Amino acid sequence: MSTEISRRTFIKGAAAAGVVLAAGTYFAWDGKNIPEKVKTGDVTYDVLVIGSGGAGMRAALAAAERKDLKVAVMTKLVPTRSASTMAQGGMNGVTGVSDPTDTVESHVFDTIKGGDYLCDQDAVEYFAERAGANIYELDYMGYPFNRQKDGAFHQRKMGGHSHPRASYFEDRAGHAMVHTLFEQCLENNIDFISECQMLEISMDGDKLNGVIAMDMRSGNLLGVPAKSVIIATGGYGRVYWVRTSNPYSSTGDGIVAGMNVGIPFKDPEMVQFHPTGLSANGVLLSESSRAEGALLINKNGERFMEKYAPEKKELATRDIVARAIATEIEEGRGVGEGIHAGVYMDFTKIPAERIHERLGQVYDLSRRFAGVDITKEPVPIAPTCHYSMGGLEMADFHTGESRVKGVYVAGECSCVSVHGANRLGANSLSEVLVFGHTAGDGAAEFAKANSYVGSQDSLAKDCAKWKENFEKATSRGREGNKSVPEIRDAMINTMWYKVGVFRDEAQLLQASAELDALDKEYAHCYVGDTSHVYNTAFEQYVELGNLLQISHAIVQGALARKESRGGHSRRDFPKRDDANFLKHTLIFKDKETGKYRSEYKDVVITKYQPKERKY
Amino acid sequence: MDVKLRIHRFVEGRKWVQNYTVTLKVGMTVLEALIEIKEKQDPTLSFTCSCRSSICGACSVRVNGNAELACEMLVENLVKRYDTNELTIEPLGNFKVIRDLIVDWDPKYARIKKIKPVVQPKDEFSKDKGCKQSPEDFNKYKKYAGCILCGSCVSECNKNTLNQEDFLDPFVFVKAEKLVADSRDKSPEEHLKAVVKAGLWRCFNCQECTAKCPKGLDPAGAIEKLKEATFKKGLDDNVGARHAKAIYDDISESGTLDESKLNIKSEGFLMAGLRAPMALRLMRVGKMNPLDTHKVNPEIDTIRKIVKNAEAAAKEAE
Amino acid sequence: MKYALFPGCVLEGAAAEAYTSLKKVCEKLNIEIEEIPNWTCCGASHAQGVNDLAALVINARNISIAEHMGLDIMTVCNTCTLQLRTAKMRLDKDAKLKEKVNSILKESGHPYEYKGTSKVTHFLWILDEHPELLAGKVVKPLSGVKIAAYYGCHILRPQEVMDHGDGKHPEYLERLIRALGAEPVWFDASRKCCGFHAQLAAEHDVLTVTGQIVDSADRAGAMAIATPCPLCQMQLDMYEPEGRHAVHSQAQVPILHLQQLVGLALGLTKEEVGFNRHVSAQEKLKIG
Repeated sequence: MSTEISRRTFIKGAAAAGVVLAAGTYFAWDGKNIPEKVKTGDVTYDVLVIGSGGAGMRAALAAAERKDLKVAVMTKLVPTRSASTMAQGGMNGVTGVSDPTDTVESHVFDTIKGGDYLCDQDAVEYFAERAGANIYELDYMGYPFNRQKDGAFHQRKMGGHSHPRASYFEDRAGHAMVHTLFEQCLENNIDFISECQMLEISMDGDKLNGVIAMDMRSGNLLGVPAKSVIIATGGYGRVYWVRTSNPYSSTGDGIVAGMNVGIPFKDPEMVQFHPTGLSANGVLLSESSRAEGALLINKNGERFMEKYAPEKKELATRDIVARAIATEIEEGRGVGEGIHAGVYMDFTKIPAERIHERLGQVYDLSRRFAGVDITKEPVPIAPTCHYSMGGLEMADFHTGESRVKGVYVAGECSCVSVHGANRLGANSLSEVLVFGHTAGDGAAEFAKANSYVGSQDSLAKDCAKWKENFEKATSRGREGNKSVPEIRDAMINTMWYKVGVFRDEAQLLQASAELDALDKEYAHCYVGDTSHVYNTAFEQYVELGNLLQISHAIVQGALARKESRGGHSRRDFPKRDDANFLKHTLIFKDKETGKYRSEYKDVVITKYQPKERKY
Repeated sequence: MDVKLRIHRFVEGRKWVQNYTVTLKVGMTVLEALIEIKEKQDPTLSFTCSCRSSICGACSVRVNGNAELACEMLVENLVKRYDTNELTIEPLGNFKVIRDLIVDWDPKYARIKKIKPVVQPKDEFSKDKGCKQSPEDFNKYKKYAGCILCGSCVSECNKNTLNQEDFLDPFVFVKAEKLVADSRDKSPEEHLKAVVKAGLWRCFNCQECTAKCPKGLDPAGAIEKLKEATFKKGLDDNVGARHAKAIYDDISESGTLDESKLNIKSEGFLMAGLRAPMALRLMRVGKMNPLDTHKVNPEIDTIRKIVKNAEAAAKEAE
Repeated sequence: MKYALFPGCVLEGAAAEAYTSLKKVCEKLNIEIEEIPNWTCCGASHAQGVNDLAALVINARNISIAEHMGLDIMTVCNTCTLQLRTAKMRLDKDAKLKEKVNSILKESGHPYEYKGTSKVTHFLWILDEHPELLAGKVVKPLSGVKIAAYYGCHILRPQEVMDHGDGKHPEYLERLIRALGAEPVWFDASRKCCGFHAQLAAEHDVLTVTGQIVDSADRAGAMAIATPCPLCQMQLDMYEPEGRHAVHSQAQVPILHLQQLVGLALGLTKEEVGFNRHVSAQEKLKIG
């Protein structure tokens, strides 16, 4: 199948296919993705940020305001490829520019109610008080905000909010944020350690050494010493693989690294499902589809939402619609098979001109990925995992610090708890700004006040361990071993069907057992690529390992939470139970045994006593 | 239907073309085809991707010589366009290749840095209260804020293929125009000086960047806008600018280009004099006659008025 | 079939042979052409970089004269086509802009307003859309002649403006070459830019690519390069010696205006199509 060919036949072959050849673009790697001082071990960073999405770059910029500090951002891709770029709606913050009657209290309450009262109310207050200021600051950094007549950025109203308070750039709010922050990072000469897969937070006992990472380009294992580390690696939606709107990179790497050094995974079971992802690949069809009048139809042609929400029908909240669709599919009234099963979303009652005018992106995505012209026929959709409310516990929201000294967390990989059991639209980008900023300041102040306590020897030891791990994993043969994608497919079957939109005890126990079995297969799985240069097969092997651990934690949390709240829906316990579960799940991983254990921590209530959530 | 993908491989210094076959499915993108190959046929095939919905810019590759975002390009459409069931997939052009379809972005950051890639807010704005800008002023640059840094625009850039040292990538010009056109910025000159220095006038105007941008940003148009801005700011003392101005002025002087004077206007008498061998060659075949007088358009007065009035209207709109 | 002809500046000067051959070919093909009276330069892809609005109004004026003639416009230069079509597209899409442009035309004393009634097309596109024009006319089929089809950039890109065929995979020039009895040859540099517009600002690069294009066509066994753009033709023909020098090549290849190639197949002689005005490889053309 593969042949090495001479330049002559190469050109001839290419010419036949009508290809213009670019001459001489093939060069060996020159290693500029990593500052030289990192390779030689001549730098100890004051603040080392892992992850280059909104939270990571915001944190780096905050830390780098102290000019004497050494700050770097490490990322497994190129800096602008993060999940943040996909955020569409905007970032909330009370400024009153578009609605002078808006108040911080209102933002606080909307967020708490939306989160089904699992939010820590003091943290939400901290968040809402600072969200507006962070938007102003982003404006000053050059974010391309859509404007209103008086020259201020315009704010729009998002679902679940009682006032317009989301600033935005077109329908690409996150994309513009990432690029604005990236340009600021470049201008401020922040070091990027790019295309390095973080493998582990290295500790010597309770002292932070720094981080172990694989430089994807050389395959070298790097031990990067740091006084403080900020984990900002994003969510874990890829445990549901094609049933998520998240990018391929949302594999929870930072959460697992954090758990491995003793930081608890808080509320892992809280996963948000968006009702209308394409059945084909999980890509989101915007909320505005239903707002514009698209109907949800089952296999028998019934408009089933009439049953589940007689008044609001298709316009009911995300969680209600997602559960209705999941029920239809489970009870045999769906279309399509397996992981791609769904129901129809029907746009044909909407005039074609209006579809083109207002739902251009929905039209394009349906056409491209499902081969469906929505002006003529309905498109199959199904719920898709959209956001991870759970994450590494932020022990102090005033600083972003975790329980482990020197390790800070921010963004989707963290759990502050601002979003509680369900995140409201446009609160994720503001969280990224507020707590990215906070964690950057927190880590920087920590670095200023403390000297490096880690051990370079211990760092080197961890590097050697991963080197061995790499050699072992990549040299295993195909025979008798399952491949990484095979195990992943089995994992998503377990997670989607047994730990998806609906959960119950029997299924969760079964899921737990299945995951245990997959762990065993994973231990001797086939990677299939031995090269040291940009070994994406190995990277995916590491990511799958992380996804499996995340899955265990989700199952553990979901099993223990015997109630239904926000994104967590137990068939066997369909009601919210404030008496027993007005508290956070904390999943710890035991360093010695690798087992998971749960603890609980009370939700912080300040002003708002839990009430029934009604919209 | 089966589609044969001829993928250019490059691993640790070894370079070859490898053929794979995938079965065409509805909605199968180039990225999905690549993933299917990696998962089912050959785990060593390497490429990068992230969002698979054309916003993160990670997955651009060249298909049959043209840069495409792999996640949004349907294999089916390519098969139709090229009328073949064999497609050739290569890494982007004008990038160093690290492995297979993965290219090196690092040198590009240094190039972005050259233009001072951030807004320098006017003095009346502050960190605490942000900036002010009219919706009309926002509209002047919003298109250019849509760049996803996918690198498609530079892949077939003719100028970059010949020499990257004295010219930037089209996406860097897009970023520069975004800043220059942003009314919040107090010194557009700073970005403009940088782009002039970094090769603004060396653009071939081949339109490859505009043809390849998956976001429809028209980098070639951005380059023209930057040029226009350099005239407004008086940063037009260079060969390229003088040449453009000479052509522009010819329209008002006679209505058409006066070829015999163009080079003198652009390069000065001395440099143009060095082109004597070329001039002799042209005279020999009758392409140039120094005794010819250049014809003047009979409606030249109207034409001059048009240019003047357009200039006035453009100034007013600023 | 009748068109308002927009010849463009170079057909009045250095590329006069492109004009004479066009007239003869159109006559043979029964295409009537009438030059747009008092047309001006299209801006040559440079004027918009000095003042975009002025360049736009100048082209609105050019098009409005053809509209007054009641004819669609034929161009024979890629860059002219792109400039005129870009102006037309912008004006037809944006009523406000059209109004502004028309008021400038009016206050300057131009007698016609821009309406948007005349199409702008290229000589090559006309031949491609009307294969019947050539029917029975190819009296000297160029059998056995290998021709390198060199489109040039501005007839292909941007697709939005230049929407004849697929700009990423055009086939119409090859199709026409076949219709003339010749054989189109594939060559590596067929889609490269000739660099004409940057000749002064990036001289070394432009001469290099000039050399690469000619060398690559030569290696592919082409007897001549044919192009629908007089600017590409001038760049490749006039700078062929410097191009050879830049890439250390010996290649000498005649560079034909498309209408010259058509003319040869229609029975015109080398002299009739003005080949004696070419700078390079005069003796190498073995047809006509």
